[in-house]
Amino acid sequence: MKSSRYIWLIGLGVTMIIIALPIILFTRPEVSRAASPWDYVPSKSAHVDHTALIKGPFTTGQDVTKTCLTCHEDAAHDVQMTAHFKWEGEPVQLPGHDQPVAIGKKNLLNNFCIGVQSNWTGCTKCHAGYGWSDANYDFTAQENVDCLVCHDQSRTYAKGKSGNPADGVDLVVAARSVARPTRENCGSCHFNGGGGNAVKHGDLDESMYYPPADLDVHMGRLNFQCVDCHRTTDHQVGGRAISVSVDNKNQIACTDCHKGEAIHPDARLNKHLDAVACQTCHIPTTAGGKYATKIEWDWSTAGQDLPEDVHEYLKIKGSFVYERNIPPTYAWFNGTLADRYLLGDPIDPNQITVLNPLAGSRNDPNSKIWPFKVHDAKQPYDTVYNYLLQPQTVGNYWVNFNWDLALRAGAEATGLKYSGQYGFAQTRMYWPQSHMVRPAEQALQCTDCHGENGRMDWAALGYPGDPMTWGGR
Amino acid sequence: MKTLIKRSLALSLLIVGAVLIVVGLVAGILPAAAQGGETPPLPKRPMHPVFPLLDQDGTNVLTSGLPVSTMTTCGSCHDTTFIASHSFHADVGLSSYGKPAAADKGGHAWDLSLGTFGRWDPVTYRRLSPVDDRTPDLTTAEWLMTLGTRHVGGGPATTSRNGTPLTALKPDILTVETGIVDAKTGTLGVWDWAASGVAEMNCFVCHTANPNNAARIEALQNGQFGWAASATLINTGLIKKDGTGYVWDQDAFDLEGRPARETIGIQDPSSANCGACHGTVHTDAQRPLILDPFDPAAWSTYTTGQIVSPQRINLSALNLAGKNALTRSWDVHAERVVACVDCHYSLNNPVYYREGADKPAHLTFDPRRTDFGEYLYRPLHQFAKGQSVQSPLAPELDNTLRRCESCHSTQTTHNWLPYKDRHFAQVACETCHIPKVYAPALAAIDWTVLDKSGEPVRTYRGVEGNIPSTDALITGYTPAMLPRQNPDGTTAFAPHNLIAAWYWVAGDPAVPVPIRDLKAVYLDGDGDGYAAEVLAAFDADKDGDLSRTELYIDTPEKQAVIAKRLEGRGLSNPRIVAETSAYSINHGVARGEWANRDCRTCHAEDSRLVAPLALSDRTPGGVDPALPVAAKGTGTLIRDDKGTLFYQTNTAADGLYIFGRDSSGVVDVIGPMILLATLFGVTVHGGLRYFAARRRTPHEPELKRVYMYSIYERQWHWLQTAVIFGLIFTGMVIHKPATFGVFSFPFVVEVHNILAVILVINAALAAFYHLASGEIRQFLPKPYGFFNDAIVQAKYYLWGIFRGQEHPFEKTRQRKLNPLQQATYFMLLNVLLPAQVITGLLMMFAQQWAETALVLGGLPILAPLHTLIAWSLSAFIVGHVYLTTTGHTVTSNIQAMITGWDEVEVHSAPQAGQD
Repeated sequence: MKSSRYIWLIGLGVTMIIIALPIILFTRPEVSRAASPWDYVPSKSAHVDHTALIKGPFTTGQDVTKTCLTCHEDAAHDVQMTAHFKWEGEPVQLPGHDQPVAIGKKNLLNNFCIGVQSNWTGCTKCHAGYGWSDANYDFTAQENVDCLVCHDQSRTYAKGKSGNPADGVDLVVAARSVARPTRENCGSCHFNGGGGNAVKHGDLDESMYYPPADLDVHMGRLNFQCVDCHRTTDHQVGGRAISVSVDNKNQIACTDCHKGEAIHPDARLNKHLDAVACQTCHIPTTAGGKYATKIEWDWSTAGQDLPEDVHEYLKIKGSFVYERNIPPTYAWFNGTLADRYLLGDPIDPNQITVLNPLAGSRNDPNSKIWPFKVHDAKQPYDTVYNYLLQPQTVGNYWVNFNWDLALRAGAEATGLKYSGQYGFAQTRMYWPQSHMVRPAEQALQCTDCHGENGRMDWAALGYPGDPMTWGGR
Repeated sequence: MKTLIKRSLALSLLIVGAVLIVVGLVAGILPAAAQGGETPPLPKRPMHPVFPLLDQDGTNVLTSGLPVSTMTTCGSCHDTTFIASHSFHADVGLSSYGKPAAADKGGHAWDLSLGTFGRWDPVTYRRLSPVDDRTPDLTTAEWLMTLGTRHVGGGPATTSRNGTPLTALKPDILTVETGIVDAKTGTLGVWDWAASGVAEMNCFVCHTANPNNAARIEALQNGQFGWAASATLINTGLIKKDGTGYVWDQDAFDLEGRPARETIGIQDPSSANCGACHGTVHTDAQRPLILDPFDPAAWSTYTTGQIVSPQRINLSALNLAGKNALTRSWDVHAERVVACVDCHYSLNNPVYYREGADKPAHLTFDPRRTDFGEYLYRPLHQFAKGQSVQSPLAPELDNTLRRCESCHSTQTTHNWLPYKDRHFAQVACETCHIPKVYAPALAAIDWTVLDKSGEPVRTYRGVEGNIPSTDALITGYTPAMLPRQNPDGTTAFAPHNLIAAWYWVAGDPAVPVPIRDLKAVYLDGDGDGYAAEVLAAFDADKDGDLSRTELYIDTPEKQAVIAKRLEGRGLSNPRIVAETSAYSINHGVARGEWANRDCRTCHAEDSRLVAPLALSDRTPGGVDPALPVAAKGTGTLIRDDKGTLFYQTNTAADGLYIFGRDSSGVVDVIGPMILLATLFGVTVHGGLRYFAARRRTPHEPELKRVYMYSIYERQWHWLQTAVIFGLIFTGMVIHKPATFGVFSFPFVVEVHNILAVILVINAALAAFYHLASGEIRQFLPKPYGFFNDAIVQAKYYLWGIFRGQEHPFEKTRQRKLNPLQQATYFMLLNVLLPAQVITGLLMMFAQQWAETALVLGGLPILAPLHTLIAWSLSAFIVGHVYLTTTGHTVTSNIQAMITGWDEVEVHSAPQAGQD
């Protein structure tokens, strides 16, 4: 037997293997954890302080943009390709229209302030560009892109008429403060849609600037910024709103980070993933923050000299109903719209016209039950041609309170024929709820939907009865 | 003619064509309608047909103005006679009257039946009097007014103890069934059943959506038994309270004098219906739960703290410590929309019906069921039940309940738990899945004293201060573990609450002193304060009032004062007795992630299984309460230095050996002694050798290099070493997990088992090697001259070695072991190691070979023996390693076992005994 100086090492190794191998093979492994969602949160690039890099003075917003472009050469061009600047998307095919149409905020009606055409100087206060005051806006001029609205961190930047910087804004201070967009940037426009705080979305309002941890777990407890979920490459911000888009391209989802088959440790909950959207259980109420949201808007009462209250009645706008902590309306939704009301589409004034009817049904395997805020309105329509009209409010109705003049001007701007006869028709829009995601401990429980005290209208969803006892689809 | 034919042909063609078109349309439209349209919505109205409310004569109540008779009204379609006579909810002991539970089942000598009608409970204290009772407490009428408020009606509420209807009893013969005791005088007065009516089984309290239980209780407490069922309907608007009476509201009925479907809302019982009598059931998850935890009407919550609600605990309105972290629901089944009747179903309900075990072996499922119509006609109101220790009612129905395992799979779950079958056999599901009860519960009740309002002194658990208070901080409590009999005869430990009770009994046979006598003794005549004599005896600070600490019979003098006063009331030999009752806890189950997963909860010195449960901080009359007999309590009562009485479960008495907690005191002493003795011995011996060697002149013997140990011998030796060290170490962790808290208990258990298997395989292969190669001869001592050689060797170790003498026997390849070594290894390899392996195997496979383990005494014998042998083996290792230093250098033997080459001394003379 050859003796080796290292025989003890070999012996030690063999002994250890004989012991370790069975232990590794036979001891029960730790419960394998699903991949952490943190693995998928986009990483942020390091912040570059622009204080030394920016030298003023700047007289107009466009001056600032030109300065930005000296280093960020492609930035403006990238922005100009997006809906934030164009207020319009790629052409889409819609039922009832032969040709694909390019639609967006630029040329669509909603049932809030109704439409932007002829109202540009007021509405473009929330345009990511400068100087859009009429129909002949130069969308190709790169300096028209507003960099500061999204990147300013000085909290001193504000936009005024036609999207130009407001009076008194120090553009140098603003330009030097630029950084990755925060909730302040996005929220300055998106929280105030529809003409004021908390009017439009239901799940986006000023309480989301610094939400409490139990209102929104991502933005409150974990201090996420909007762009952590709405991932942006080359200024193309992820996300799709069914108020202005009909398809699901560029859409983001909870599952972008929360991946895996077994998202919940509870097998029963995971069986719901097929038919129930994450938001349905994790957003138990709309407008769960401090502010009530508008759920009804009656334009027909506008123009009267009644006591004004921003939550009840304004002479320029009519009467409203606001509510908070609203249990959502639940509907099947596959992420796209079945149709979108376009200027000139006919309506039946005796029915509620749904401006953005949802696509999806119980029988569609891509559909899930989503929570929605529903906004009902009464807005002007042409009683002879039977289509909705878009008034010119800025500088017209809001000054003269004359519907006929306002509708006439608006019809001209929108290219519609106006018969001179107008009425008010009922319309409805659906706003899906994806923000104000509560912590998991506050998610809906079984008894919130199933059982005697459940909130689901099974019949409206197309079920013969509670799927707990009748079976799912 | 031809035109006629042509015309009729045309007509026929027309008709056929029309028919075809119609058929085509219908065939086309119907499927389209079916596809395009959706299933019409479910009708929202209740299914139950409209029916008139009838009084007991069958007349519509609107006409007669009399109370509604459920037997007659519901009896129009359902067989109410059958229902009321086949329901332990109605019967509550009437059918077992005269046959109470035996003492070993928790019965008292003065019990009259198995149910609330007759079985005395120290918590309620009122005693149903038998017919010949000299000092009657509760008559039937008063029972209905007091304990009967939690009774559904029917049974003793309509029928006397010998089966005649109460209304048929002759009122001129005054008995406990026809009379009522006057609270002041204690004498029997007449009770007019015809005037009060009887309380029929009340269908509405369980079968309507919003019964007014408070009104029902009020009617019963006022003695208006006949109106109890009607009062239940007050919330429907069909009936209104009018002064002291009740009036039917004509407008709430339809034109034909019947309540509309939605008005009366007949439904199958929801959990909220059950909760009206049984305990707190809060079904509205959106409204924070508010409860008065000290309200005796919510019986289960009062006696055990159980709450059934789907709401998350952190969203409730209780002042509960640590509430914010408790994001679990009160009861996971309530959360998952499982109702009471899903487990406690009606036993002939065709949906839930479970087949008996006596069907032929070849049938897996018998589809023949009670028809739904038959079931609706005669729904058996015998509900599936488990066995709760606190109530021996309807023992023939014990364990008809769906237990956990009839819905939950234990085989696909709990895969993280080693020895899961053994755990399931020894420990009930509830033990881990109800880790804590988050509401206060009654802990002790002292009926030996009464406060100013005539109430006893109660102590609670789970609440700071232990007394009822609206703003007290609720801490919750961990229940005691008591053995519970499983249906298959095995016992498992399950959580229970314990309530200790002290009370006076008097007379022979002993009977608890009626409360009116206690009141007369303690309170003065006006009823607004204590009697003067009582104050004199109890009022220590002389403030004219008795605080809780003063109101306590802690001296024989105080006891004598009260006893004398009781004798003054005509009671003979009043004395204090005490008992403990156990209440099983089965609700308030937590979801898996909240269940107890930490092995050390039980496998530790302070094991939860034996954690003492506080009973009472006072021991009136110095009487220790009897242990809970009904729970087969094998525990003991212990007292801490503050005088608080605790109950402690004794798991060992049930044959349970808990690794990490239990150990044999004897082994714990002898084992370390053996090890320490060996350590001492080798230290002394080694020390002596060292000093002797220093004094001696060094002597270099002639050495011979011998290849002593083959590679296999060395490998198996060192593998054995490593494994044994590992086993000893992991064994220590298992034995004392608290000391080695850093290690994961279940992981260490598994590693211990794996190492044991490696040891056995290694030893088996080595044994084979030795046998096959003949090396076994080395270990076998030669028969002749063995003892002489052994003594020679012993003398060398004890004397010669210090002198530097050479070893008596030369170590050769053929003979490596000296006689003492042979003897030692013989014992080791044939006695100690096999014993260790066998005891280890029996413990490792205790769940598969339970009977075999039991034959040898079970874990309580095997485990300490295993531990003792482990100590011995440790001692052996000490000795063995030391003796390897007796080679020509201190390390030469160990080196030989590593390299195989040994340098042995060449012996000058032939060796004694060498062949």
